[in-house]
Amino acid sequence: MKYSAALAALLAASPALADLDAARALVEQYSALPTFEAPGAPFDARACMADKKMFVIPLTNANPFNAAISQGFVDAAEMVGFELRDWETQMDPAGWIQGINTAVAEGYDLIDLQGGLPPEFVQPQVMEAQAAGVKVTATHNWDATTQETPAFMDGAANTDYVTIGQIIAAWAMVQTDGQVNALVLGPDEITPTAPLRDAIIGYLEANCPDCQTRYINVPVNDWATQGQPAVQNALLQDPSINYVLPVYDSMSQFIVPAIQIAGSNAKIVSYNGTPFVLDMMRDGDIVEMNVGESLGWVGMAGTDANMRLLCGLEPVTKLNTPAFVFTDENVATAGTPATFNDGYGDVHVQGFRDLWQLD
Amino acid sequence: MTTPDPTEARIAALEAKIARLEGAVAPRPAPDWKHGAERFGLVGAWVLMILILGAFRPDQMFAWNSYATMLGSNAMVVVLTLALIVPLTTGDFDLSVASVMGLSSMTLAVLNVQMGIPIVPAILVVLVVGAIVGAVNAFFILYFGVASLIVTLGTGYFINGVILWISNSGTIAGVSMDLVRAVILTRLFGIPIGFYYALILALVLWYVFQHTALGRRLLFVGRGREVARLSGVNVTRMRTGALIASSVIAAFAGVLYTGMRGAADPSSALAFLLPAFAAAFLGSTAIYPGRFNALGSVVAVYFLSTGIMGLNFLGVSSFVQNLFYGGGLVIAVAISQLIRGRRPMD
Repeated sequence: MKYSAALAALLAASPALADLDAARALVEQYSALPTFEAPGAPFDARACMADKKMFVIPLTNANPFNAAISQGFVDAAEMVGFELRDWETQMDPAGWIQGINTAVAEGYDLIDLQGGLPPEFVQPQVMEAQAAGVKVTATHNWDATTQETPAFMDGAANTDYVTIGQIIAAWAMVQTDGQVNALVLGPDEITPTAPLRDAIIGYLEANCPDCQTRYINVPVNDWATQGQPAVQNALLQDPSINYVLPVYDSMSQFIVPAIQIAGSNAKIVSYNGTPFVLDMMRDGDIVEMNVGESLGWVGMAGTDANMRLLCGLEPVTKLNTPAFVFTDENVATAGTPATFNDGYGDVHVQGFRDLWQLD
Repeated sequence: MTTPDPTEARIAALEAKIARLEGAVAPRPAPDWKHGAERFGLVGAWVLMILILGAFRPDQMFAWNSYATMLGSNAMVVVLTLALIVPLTTGDFDLSVASVMGLSSMTLAVLNVQMGIPIVPAILVVLVVGAIVGAVNAFFILYFGVASLIVTLGTGYFINGVILWISNSGTIAGVSMDLVRAVILTRLFGIPIGFYYALILALVLWYVFQHTALGRRLLFVGRGREVARLSGVNVTRMRTGALIASSVIAAFAGVLYTGMRGAADPSSALAFLLPAFAAAFLGSTAIYPGRFNALGSVVAVYFLSTGIMGLNFLGVSSFVQNLFYGGGLVIAVAISQLIRGRRPMD
């Protein structure tokens, strides 16, 4: 009994991913076009939101990633027909605070801090808003399984970063027949780095006895000055490195020249589906695979979670936006130049319409 | 037979007088060996650092490939440092150089990728854009008499906004492979060719500063504007030229930066401002101690990047690199002050 429980726990910890076939299956699963899986029971969104309005504060509007998520929120609000305001910020705490104060002063019902805005930075203002009766949530900030939403938040729609990290590791494992020598890079100060990093390294450690990894922390502000030399010198030090795995694909612009200058054959596999990285994949040979997610879908899923909170429905804590594998074979579907929303299909639009009983 | 330029003669006489006065208040002239130690101290420290780091990581620190890689990948830092030392020589700080580098990089990507303009005309356009920024800096500094530090801080910030605007805040990839080939993919003695562009530029600046009347006038303006003006030097023209040259060279650094990545992003170039300042001041302690000079700057950039490379090989955490650059800047300025006899800086 005791042993069967331990075995069950072990299987749950590494669900049938202990070999190359399992790694291949994982990659194939996420290479198929995303399908819509309802995050909860259908509800009449128009009736529920008839007298409510929502306020979205992105990390920064200067980042197309955040702008694309915001657009998803705006589209969802138009579909349902409620008032939503997308606050303009430039990654400055003063702008975030001003946004929260504006939302409170203008009687909004919910404030969503989306796309990496750390709520801890504005905790006093969050608590002040809550005291005024405003709900405060976050979308696409924490990992859905390994990180906990802080108690001071009213809710959060989180991302499954662990699966994304596992897909990246599985891809490298499959391509090398279990002989991965990977350099993993990430900025430790960003919230999702830890789950992504640990998932990549943990998957290889658990499933690939001949694989090896080395991790280097490069803060975002130092990507240009330290990222390139760090990769370059790591490749010089160990020319057998065959994969560079930055947890965020925007680092690729500094890694590609490092690989070229060092004369390495290493490939880049990463996460985010950032358009210029997909362009690099289409036009070159160094960026090999990228795990993306439709950001318009993320915005709509965040709206769904927020509406459920406002309407007293069963809470949704995990975004239903699936990860999707881009390679040379399908990168053309992302557009030329690539975008944050193309290539994933639009099954989510009808999916949310049905879920919100709009037709 | 040419007639001697009376202004040149006055400058030469004044320089001699200043040298006599400096000699009267300064300690005795240093013996030759000490002067040599000052000139080549940084080079010696560089070699010593290689030997020390090599004791821990001989396979990497004594491999030519490591240095070929490092020399090529820091070409744009050398060029950015050279951009800084031109106005520093005339006594002006240009804090907008990194922004100009970013503007040039992004403008090049927009012109080439989004507007389909061939790479050579696009490069010429961005160099002109650099010249315009330099002229704007010069106008506010010289016409209104505002400190260069403030003006270039403001124009730099303004340019950062322009970069976000023209790029729609995104990174643009897919710049012509011709440029990438012309910067890093073509190699000479294993070193990406971008390094040689930086080296040629350094040699040109060295020649101008050390062997031409223009170079002497620039230096003279930096040492004392009023004295230079009274001696007949057109100080405004010299400072204007230096600021425009600075921005054009910074724009060229942006071209190299784009060529290195085949892409341009809105913000990363700004991170090179401090390394460039650190190298400019550290470079002023070498080869021609007490002067911002091109060859010293080249040595300083590669001294610092050798240190970074060694720290990488040793697996040291990335924050140590900040300590290295930041500490390097302060120590370099302190050493250059010692060389100047601890006279207050302008």
